[in-house]
Amino acid sequence: MLSRRASFIASLVLAAAAPACGAAAVRAVVTDASGHALADAIVTLQPSAGRLPVRPMAEVQIAQHDLRFDPVLTVVTVGTPVLFPNRDTVRHHVYSFSSTKTFQLKLYAGVPHKPVVFDKPGIAVLGCNIHDQMVAWVVVVDTPLWARSDAGGLAQVDGVAPGSYQMRVWHATLAESTPPVVLPLLVAGADVEQPVRLGRDGSAK
Amino acid sequence: MSLHSRLWRRSIGARITVLFLGLLLAVQLASFAALHASLSVHAQRTLPTRLLEGERLLRNLLDRRAQTVTDGARLLAADYGFREAIGSDDAQTIVSVLGNHGARIGATEAALLSTDFRLRATTSAQPHEIAALAAHLAAQAASAGHASAITLLEGHPYQAVLVPLKAPLLVGWVWMAFPLDGQLVADMSSLSGLDLTVLSRASAHEPWAVDLSSLDARRAGELANQPWTPDGAADAGMTTVAAQGEELGVRGLDLGSGRRADAGVVALVSLSVDDAVRLPADLQIALIVINIVGVLVFALGSVATARRVTTPLRGLADAAERLGAGDYATPMDGQQRRDEIGELSQSFERMRHSVAENQAQILRLAYWDSLTGLPNRARFREAVDDAVRAASVHAAVQGPGASVAVLLLDLNRFKHVNDVLGYRVGDLVLVGVAERLGATLARDGDLVARLSGDEFAILLRRADAEQALAVARRIERSFDAPLALAEHRVDIGAGIGIACWPQHADDGDALLVRAEMAMYAAKRLSDGPQCYDPALDATSAQTLTLMSELRQAVEHNELRLYLQPKLALEDRSVVGAEALVRWQHPVRGLVPPLQFIPFAEQTGFIRTLTLWVFEEAARHWQALADDGQDLRLSVNLSTRDLMDPDLALKFDALLIKHLVPASAFCLEITESAIMDDPQRALATLDALHEMGFKLSIDDFGTGYSSLAYLKRLPVDELKIDQSFVRGMQGDRDDATIVRSTIDLAHNLGILVVAEGVENAEVWTMLRDLRCDQAQGFHMGRPMPVHEFAAWSTSWGMRRQAVEGDAVHVLH
Repeated sequence: MLSRRASFIASLVLAAAAPACGAAAVRAVVTDASGHALADAIVTLQPSAGRLPVRPMAEVQIAQHDLRFDPVLTVVTVGTPVLFPNRDTVRHHVYSFSSTKTFQLKLYAGVPHKPVVFDKPGIAVLGCNIHDQMVAWVVVVDTPLWARSDAGGLAQVDGVAPGSYQMRVWHATLAESTPPVVLPLLVAGADVEQPVRLGRDGSAK
Repeated sequence: MSLHSRLWRRSIGARITVLFLGLLLAVQLASFAALHASLSVHAQRTLPTRLLEGERLLRNLLDRRAQTVTDGARLLAADYGFREAIGSDDAQTIVSVLGNHGARIGATEAALLSTDFRLRATTSAQPHEIAALAAHLAAQAASAGHASAITLLEGHPYQAVLVPLKAPLLVGWVWMAFPLDGQLVADMSSLSGLDLTVLSRASAHEPWAVDLSSLDARRAGELANQPWTPDGAADAGMTTVAAQGEELGVRGLDLGSGRRADAGVVALVSLSVDDAVRLPADLQIALIVINIVGVLVFALGSVATARRVTTPLRGLADAAERLGAGDYATPMDGQQRRDEIGELSQSFERMRHSVAENQAQILRLAYWDSLTGLPNRARFREAVDDAVRAASVHAAVQGPGASVAVLLLDLNRFKHVNDVLGYRVGDLVLVGVAERLGATLARDGDLVARLSGDEFAILLRRADAEQALAVARRIERSFDAPLALAEHRVDIGAGIGIACWPQHADDGDALLVRAEMAMYAAKRLSDGPQCYDPALDATSAQTLTLMSELRQAVEHNELRLYLQPKLALEDRSVVGAEALVRWQHPVRGLVPPLQFIPFAEQTGFIRTLTLWVFEEAARHWQALADDGQDLRLSVNLSTRDLMDPDLALKFDALLIKHLVPASAFCLEITESAIMDDPQRALATLDALHEMGFKLSIDDFGTGYSSLAYLKRLPVDELKIDQSFVRGMQGDRDDATIVRSTIDLAHNLGILVVAEGVENAEVWTMLRDLRCDQAQGFHMGRPMPVHEFAAWSTSWGMRRQAVEGDAVHVLH
């Protein structure tokens, strides 16, 4: 299961690495099973063959504030270090059992000394051992072609070179057991509009 | 009949008490039964409810238990170390942490499932079984976020739970199984008092097996033998099962069958119907105490009530007894009461008064003669008895010497007075006599009574025969003066008989009887008061049989005719004879006339005797006449003969039969015989006289009839009473009486005969007084008729041989 999810995320990252030549924009409109627009869906494009080069981002922060992760959803590229500053007065115990990145920051206050480097593509689900309701997602992509849907469900990836791509769409509500949404996408130079309807049980966390 | 039933029948009190107690016991039994039945019905009715409540409790307990273990499992699943170990992705580590952490909360089996409920790891050696069980819960868990169920694992019921594993989002499911243990049963018993039994079976073909039970093994086994069906058990109200002699009310509850439809776990909530129906022990004791106290109180109350009723009843019964015994003086108790008893007492009291008054009235009527105010016969008898009794006591204490005397008086010619002067004068005579008698008696305690008609009696409580005789003479003297009534002067006289205790009789009755005998003798003899003489009285035994013997005497020719010669004083010739009857008894020999003649007179048999004598005399007269003796035979007539209107006819028939002239007979009648009823006597005498019979007044001088009265009678002859004749030799008065009687009789043309001539001197005196005939021992005693002829012949020869000599020389 874990391995399957890892491969899905990996393919998502690969899709984002398609060559950009005569770049066009790919606009995915994400809805849930009932047709409502889904925000915060992550869309990646990966060329059907080969990979696009990707670099780690500068240090990213996921703060703990008001007993919540902030932000809840973070997209980083492979190798990006992430710092978890604690802005609450209580201590937190941030952990992840996800195979993308397994780690824990035992009860701490303030800013940890070291960031956590997400060095594998995939999705890591973060929690706090003493605040079960706290949850955060870190999507680690290995492609530069990715976008995050806005409130209208629109996720636009610019600068996509013509070619054949695998479009992958992920949303936090997708159950882990749900097969990944993988769409083959041909970019001919013009912008592409691609509606994406996520699975029936998109409500599962 | 037993003593008890007698008591029962006789005692109202016992019956009231028994009835009350019986009723109370019946009521108590009925109420006890009703209470028992009511409680029983109530218990029966509430049994299903109790069982239903038990089932709810059980469900609650199971839910809480499921919740508890679920919570435990949840907590466990949230444990960081657990999650960390699970996250290690190392199968052996995962199995270890499942076993280790599961054991912390009591799970004996545990497993890890993927988010889509596929088995990832388990502690069990039978992963397929676990996978199947976990899958059974998947749907529930998928919708509710967690799941729990009773499930059958390796033949035993378990509480299985399925909880999510989050890190922090759902990453899998943890399945844990907790064996149902005794705690559930213990909780059930302590919270509800109901028994719980858990049965299970792996398939419908297998029998139920007992997993848990608060019942003993055998009862639980009986329950397991029942055909519980998981479907039916859930909604059945109540089933009753007889287990080991005890009836159990059971409600079944299907706890689930695990993953297989035909397997099942059933929980049976049960209680003992008998225990539920049984009266609580403290209530039973309270009822028993109430009943015992009730019986005691009722017993005391009913006994007291019965006493209140029966005690006055007994008092009334005693009072009635007293009345019955003659005690009219004691007033009734309880008259002041206001109830029925009081009314009864008042009625009794009125009855007592009226009975007492009646009694007094009866006593007056019974014991007092209303005419003279004297005690009557009954009272007199009692007084005599009392006197005899008192004298007996006196004699017993002080020795012999005490004596009680009874005098009986019968007035002479009272009937004549009544007839001639009327009953009013007769009553006045009786009153006058009573006054005379009362005046004569000086001593206190002496009692005068009127026994009947003209019969009076006197009781002298302390007097012997001598003293009584003196009293009798005093009475006679008091009678000397005639009674002066309004217009009449009435001569009074009486025969007085005397008898004394103990000299003449042993008791009061005999005393009266003998005084009466003496009285009759006195009247007959006309010789003043007579004391009882045993000679007057045949022995009682003889008297009883005398009548029949007399009849036999006539039939068997035991009677003999005797003749006593009557001589002419002038020439000593035999001129007649008095015919007398003698009784030749075959056993007793010759019975003296005094022993049967008075008796015959009393009974009327004298008439038979008179006829017998007359006929015998007639028969022998002819024989004597044939022998040359021309005699006139005298036959005595009694009062009863004179009262017989057919006497003349009977005599006439006999005269004809024997061819005898009436003139051959002289009929002798006593004065008193005539005086009893002069009218009828005169009629008879006239008839006889006309027939030609000579009539003679016998025993002349003893009565009080005057010669002037005699003149009216058709009498030819007077017989001077022998008492005068015997006395004339020494008593001038007697001689004077005899002489004047002879003179007067001769003046009236009546022949005079002297009786009782016993010596020559008297013979001579009588001859000198020119008495006509004489009769007596000096000349001849009464002799059998067949000897008379011989005597007469020899007398005639001696008379001629010594003509002129004194008669005594002849003898």
